[in-house]
Amino acid sequence: MSHAAESAHDAPSILREVNPTPLPRATLVENNRSFGWITDKICGIIEGKTPTWWWVCFVVACFVASFTVAGLTYLVATGVGVWGHANPVNWAWDIVNFVFWIGIGHAGTLISAILCLLRQKWRTSINRAAEAMTIFAVVCAALFPVFHVGRVWFAWYLFPIPNSNYIWQNFRSPLEWDVFAVSTYGTVSVLFWYVGLLPDLAILRDRFTAAGNRLRGWLYGFFAMGWRGSNRHWSNYEMAYLILAGISTPLVLSVHTIVSFDFAVSLIPGWHTTIFPPYFVAGAIFSGFGMVLTLMLPLRAIYRLEDLITQYHIDCMCKITLATGTIVGYAYGMEFFIAWYGANPYEGFAFINRAFGHYAWAYWIMISCNVITPQFFWFKKVRENTTLVWVLSIFVNVGMWFERFVIIVTSLARDFLPSSWGYYSPSIVEIFTFFGTFGVFSVLFLLFIRFLPVMPMAELKAVMPQADPHGSGDAGHGASGRSH
Amino acid sequence: MAAGAPAAGRALVIGLAGIALTALGLLVSGGAKVAFSWLVALTFWGGIALGMLFLVMIHHIFDASWSVVIRRQFEHGLASFKWLALLFLPLVASVYFAPGAVWKWMNPAYDLAQVGGSGTVGEDVLWAKKAALLNPTAFVVITVLSFGIWIWLSARLRAASFAQDADGDLKWTYRNRVTAAFGLPLAAVTLTLAIVLWVKSLDYHWFSTMYGVWYFAGCVRAALSMGVLIMVWLWVRGDYRGVLNANHFHSIGQLMFAFTVFWAYVTFSQYFLIWNANIPEETFWYNLREMNSATGFANQWKWVGMLLLFGHFFVPFFLLLSYKRKLSRTQMPWVALWIAAIFLLDLIYNIWPSKKDGNGDALPFLQLHQVWTVTAVIGVGGICVWAYLRSFPTTKLIPIRDPRIGESLTYHESSAD
Repeated sequence: MSHAAESAHDAPSILREVNPTPLPRATLVENNRSFGWITDKICGIIEGKTPTWWWVCFVVACFVASFTVAGLTYLVATGVGVWGHANPVNWAWDIVNFVFWIGIGHAGTLISAILCLLRQKWRTSINRAAEAMTIFAVVCAALFPVFHVGRVWFAWYLFPIPNSNYIWQNFRSPLEWDVFAVSTYGTVSVLFWYVGLLPDLAILRDRFTAAGNRLRGWLYGFFAMGWRGSNRHWSNYEMAYLILAGISTPLVLSVHTIVSFDFAVSLIPGWHTTIFPPYFVAGAIFSGFGMVLTLMLPLRAIYRLEDLITQYHIDCMCKITLATGTIVGYAYGMEFFIAWYGANPYEGFAFINRAFGHYAWAYWIMISCNVITPQFFWFKKVRENTTLVWVLSIFVNVGMWFERFVIIVTSLARDFLPSSWGYYSPSIVEIFTFFGTFGVFSVLFLLFIRFLPVMPMAELKAVMPQADPHGSGDAGHGASGRSH
Repeated sequence: MAAGAPAAGRALVIGLAGIALTALGLLVSGGAKVAFSWLVALTFWGGIALGMLFLVMIHHIFDASWSVVIRRQFEHGLASFKWLALLFLPLVASVYFAPGAVWKWMNPAYDLAQVGGSGTVGEDVLWAKKAALLNPTAFVVITVLSFGIWIWLSARLRAASFAQDADGDLKWTYRNRVTAAFGLPLAAVTLTLAIVLWVKSLDYHWFSTMYGVWYFAGCVRAALSMGVLIMVWLWVRGDYRGVLNANHFHSIGQLMFAFTVFWAYVTFSQYFLIWNANIPEETFWYNLREMNSATGFANQWKWVGMLLLFGHFFVPFFLLLSYKRKLSRTQMPWVALWIAAIFLLDLIYNIWPSKKDGNGDALPFLQLHQVWTVTAVIGVGGICVWAYLRSFPTTKLIPIRDPRIGESLTYHESSAD
């Protein structure tokens, strides 16, 4: 039964008493900008001359990325022994960095898929860049497990491809599940990102063609796959987007769940704990939003995108960071509590050792960055200070790297056999390899900024008051959704 | 709208009758078994109230709009907390007058041979390590503190919301946001502590970090189910005609679907990680619910577990996938009732097997004592429904001055928030 039909008869007298107290919603695009302004603003980033800062950053990023190339080349040429793993810590830097990057890769799909399903329209200003970030983070994450197999040319053994060697993958290992989870996640993330790009690529095609740049016009046209903006195109697009959002939502949750299983299915004290799956997912969202803030705030300042990434957007991101950081804090607390309550001496030792052992410095960095830092976001004054928000977002990134380091290294360094206890320190090759991934990530992100629209223009326009068929001035909320 | 008064009276009579019948059980089955039934009833109705508390606070913290017209019913539901606290008193009294009857660790002299063990609780090294928490004083303090916090949060949320009906002042909206901001972590911590002490510690050797999250998931599912039942009841009565539209039903159905998946995710993760690690310190909790150690055969609880797997996940999952069903005012109450009933079964599954025989095996699921579970659920439920119906006529049907009430009344599927 439709709403109109329902309200037409028997409307109760209570409706005559309804008198909402005025409290306007925040606008999602400020200063009453037009559709044309948005197109010009976003396309202008791509069409304009390449700025000097971009070249400087690009060269620096390429230089930093070369550290990963050098580190991996040396590893392949020499063997995995060049990494600092030694008994009892036979698993450290590679898996720490894998989980760190894959966690960052969660925010993009979360913003695109889950916030889409939850009809959170504020996501439109940040979802494109966050999706790009996801893909680039997955690329960085994938490097570590692929190369940690040692003889990387045999990495394809991870896939259950029938072969004459009678190799049968260990399907009982969560590391094998990771292969499927991460590759599926990467594939769907690329698809999701690409589908969302189609209307915007067509705009760029038309603009470059009109400006006489036929090569770029052709290239954008090729990737726009013949998009003409017809009703049928939009209809198919909307359905595809919704289906991909539906598929991505369980995927985004499953990937980090399986990453948590890498540890939780084991018997290692500090790893085997039932809260790991939701705790890892919350941590991934936390770190993902930390990285989104780290990337979007400078982008906003450089390209003067304050009308599109408003204070309201920053508020929302800060609040999600606060909420997920607090959930992570709850999980830390529960782990500690159950380590005591469980009365298992090994579990108890593992947690006492984390907080007061040789790696206590790492533990307290983790607690400070992941539990204390986000609490600053309770305060409006902090959220309104973009420089401070950016600095705090860096702390979140640092803290989440240390979380993985603490979980993995502290439990292994003090195993069941005291005579084998050790202290893990990364080798210079490991440090170079990880440091370089920031360059790899930055190179990809800079290329994205330069050649692809950093925001979904069509989606942005749909949340503006002008898109509201009822003419509501209540920007962002009177609009009839994602009906472009 | 004032028709709540006679209905409230009926609910009170039913509640008191249920309590009286449960009291009769003391003579038939003994205090310990009745206390287990009473605990099931309190964690069931308390869970619904807690779920409503979380939903109201989540509503405020998100500045949500579509749920404004439903929120008022949850606020009425919060009126039950003080009565639940009162109804919890017999269990608190058992701490002093019958220690060990429900929670063995209350009595260090408890002979563990009665439940297939050896020695006394006081000689049990695992209890000794946890004694700082598992002792009568901590139990009473945490119980009082938890109920105190829930009652206080509920009172703040209700008072501000009701006051806004009269003066339309925005300060009430802001006050509720602040209450929700500090209330959510407070409620999360107290819920966890309460369920650890009340239920998990029944088998005090067992532990799981997921337990608080499991109870939270169940509470919200049950509260949403109760929300659907109230929505349909008020719709049929005519109060909600012209107020609710199809999209409100669709959205609450979507939330039920989301929490169905969340519950399954949490429950599966807990089971899977314990099964896979296969550590006896953890697996015994599930073994107790699968087989009889004396015979080696599957016990009745195994089939309850299977029913939970299919009934608490697969059935509602497939039922709630349907868009049309979520809009159906004839089918959704049945789905809601089913979820609420299975939440009750889930609690029975978590609580009752801790009542063991001399071999250390769980008492069978189907026995006379489950009658007292039914009467206790009816008794406590009657009081909770009475508290709701008593609160119902004291305010407007919907928050008429809420800043988002307009958006809620005109809510359509593609609206934001």
